[in-house]
Amino acid sequence: MKPLRCYFTHWQNLIGLFLVLVFLVVAIAAPVLSPQDPEYPGPIKYVGLRTDYRPHTPAEVPPLGTLSTQISVYHALVWGTRSAVVFGIVVASITALIGSLIGAFSGYFGGFINQLLMRVTDAFLSFPIIAGVVLIQLIIKAIAASVVEIPSGGGEFFELQDLPKSLIFLLSIDPVLIAFIMFSWMPYARIMNSVVRRVRTTDYIEASRALGAGHLRLIFRHLIPNSITPIIVMAAKDVGGMVLLQATFTFIGLGGNSAWGMMLVLGRDWIISPGGIMTFWWVFLPATLALILFGIGWNLLGDGLNDALNPRTT
Amino acid sequence: MRIVLRAFLLRLVSIVVTLLIVTALLYATVMFTPAETRATLYLPKNLPSRMTEQQYQKLIDNIIERYHLNEPYPVQYAYWLGNLVKGEWGYSPTLQKDVFTALMEKTPVTAELTLYSTLLFIPLGLISGVIAGAKKNKLADHGVRLTAYIATTLPSFILALLLMSFFYVDLYWFAPSRVSSSISLLINSDNFRQVTGLLTIDGLLNRRPDVTVDAFRHLAMPVFTLAIVHWATLARVTRAEMIDELNQDYVVAARARGIPERWITWRHTLRNAIAPSMTSSLLSVTSLITGVFVVEILYDFHGVSDIAVRSMAYTLDAPAALGFAIYSVVVVLLLMAILDLVQLFVDPRAREKRN
Repeated sequence: MKPLRCYFTHWQNLIGLFLVLVFLVVAIAAPVLSPQDPEYPGPIKYVGLRTDYRPHTPAEVPPLGTLSTQISVYHALVWGTRSAVVFGIVVASITALIGSLIGAFSGYFGGFINQLLMRVTDAFLSFPIIAGVVLIQLIIKAIAASVVEIPSGGGEFFELQDLPKSLIFLLSIDPVLIAFIMFSWMPYARIMNSVVRRVRTTDYIEASRALGAGHLRLIFRHLIPNSITPIIVMAAKDVGGMVLLQATFTFIGLGGNSAWGMMLVLGRDWIISPGGIMTFWWVFLPATLALILFGIGWNLLGDGLNDALNPRTT
Repeated sequence: MRIVLRAFLLRLVSIVVTLLIVTALLYATVMFTPAETRATLYLPKNLPSRMTEQQYQKLIDNIIERYHLNEPYPVQYAYWLGNLVKGEWGYSPTLQKDVFTALMEKTPVTAELTLYSTLLFIPLGLISGVIAGAKKNKLADHGVRLTAYIATTLPSFILALLLMSFFYVDLYWFAPSRVSSSISLLINSDNFRQVTGLLTIDGLLNRRPDVTVDAFRHLAMPVFTLAIVHWATLARVTRAEMIDELNQDYVVAARARGIPERWITWRHTLRNAIAPSMTSSLLSVTSLITGVFVVEILYDFHGVSDIAVRSMAYTLDAPAALGFAIYSVVVVLLLMAILDLVQLFVDPRAREKRN
């Protein structure tokens, strides 16, 4: 069966594609759906008195009500979608790229290079991602502290413009993003490695080599395109997984700029109330549903791609 | 037996090699920071609270001199590694303790959580995987697959919020944090002897079943949160393995001889399916450890993750952050080795493969 037709014959795949498309459309159309407040750009938009801590019910103006301190739920949801989509796709594609390059090179050259790179991969595999986040945070802080003397005593203020450019750049790096990229490329490398090692002795590679193809041409023209299917499937699932993990890290306060995670941080004190769990439903339900559907959507898409692209299962 | 021993020794060697690579990479990243920052790894415990700039500078210079922090990378790394092996992991200003002591103190808390969730998810994952595989495309199979799907896509913190609002607030069956305040007074008093550090076992050893009951009440929600994700992975892999095994010739032969289906499933095929399924849990040890730390923070458990959180929350605390990273790698490698050893005993095929 053709991959496309195979993909569209299962209703789960259709749901997956639909969910992912909805998130993509919302992400692209975010400025139209909910215009930014020019004073506070970003997913947080205040629509009332910031000293008012009680969440307000959904109404005409903030369509999904407000969080405590009058942050619009709708606005945070829409712009959170955009940041989540960007984060997920950026992290998943960069990790997939790094992992498959390392795996392909080590598998192609074999021997000592392969041994070394695979040992390094194993070493990274034994590194829990939470330790990676802590470590990257430490490095960034340490470099920042060595660039500029951060005043420890009270009463000293410094303007953002006074700081050196390099420091501003350093502080704008998201440690969670770096840590996710650094500590999740290993599965890609392993898959690519095993596939390349199997494929590189086949006849068509030999034929291409006999025609005078160089190392780079063999790797990029023949080996990678022929082993890319599992990588694509894994990357699609990773988009969802990475966003969920980012929200988790934001929620437990270890960094990460997930707007959905932040909504739940602000909303969690209002979940439990005397009137039952649904009294303030709008403070946690939209973000929760968005996260769950995002995870399910990309997962279903990945499963569907696996069935469609993998000739053995069809 | 000799084969098992040899395989285990090989495994030990590979652990040491991996540890060397990890620590070398870690120290290489630390080398990005200037020598003055690296010197904070060796700040003494009894640092006077008020020091002039010159005094502090002199102290830092002394440390750089004494610990060879201006030497090239390999030399520094060797000195640092030597200190690690000796158990000198540095003094953490935020914890007010030696990092190594702090880690050892917190270990039982994390270990208890990990132990009970492992005891929960491995048998349950295997059983539900076997049932789903044996009854492929029946109701039980669909149920297991759907639950597994939800379990993997539901973020742990949302599950934690749901569980807490239901079982803690509404029903008050279970509670977050590690112990109730009254019990916490008891276990910190002199009357309570801490033998293992695991409260559930220490309670029984001290003839105080109420401590054990209380500890279990507090463990229930975190253990469930942690177990369900890994249950889902294990159940899925076991199901796939069972379906593969049930198509083998020996199963057809057994059926032809009239051996009951239940006997075939639980006696014959499960034995072959168990080893590959365990390999999958071997791969997820790192995510298990990350999960443990996340769950600890979610349920206010103050285990090892406490060190990471505190080192992040305040200003630069290099010994704590670095110590936490090394600690988690060591734990992951140890757990992997244990699982590997179990597999060698359970699966004769794994033994042959090593030769």
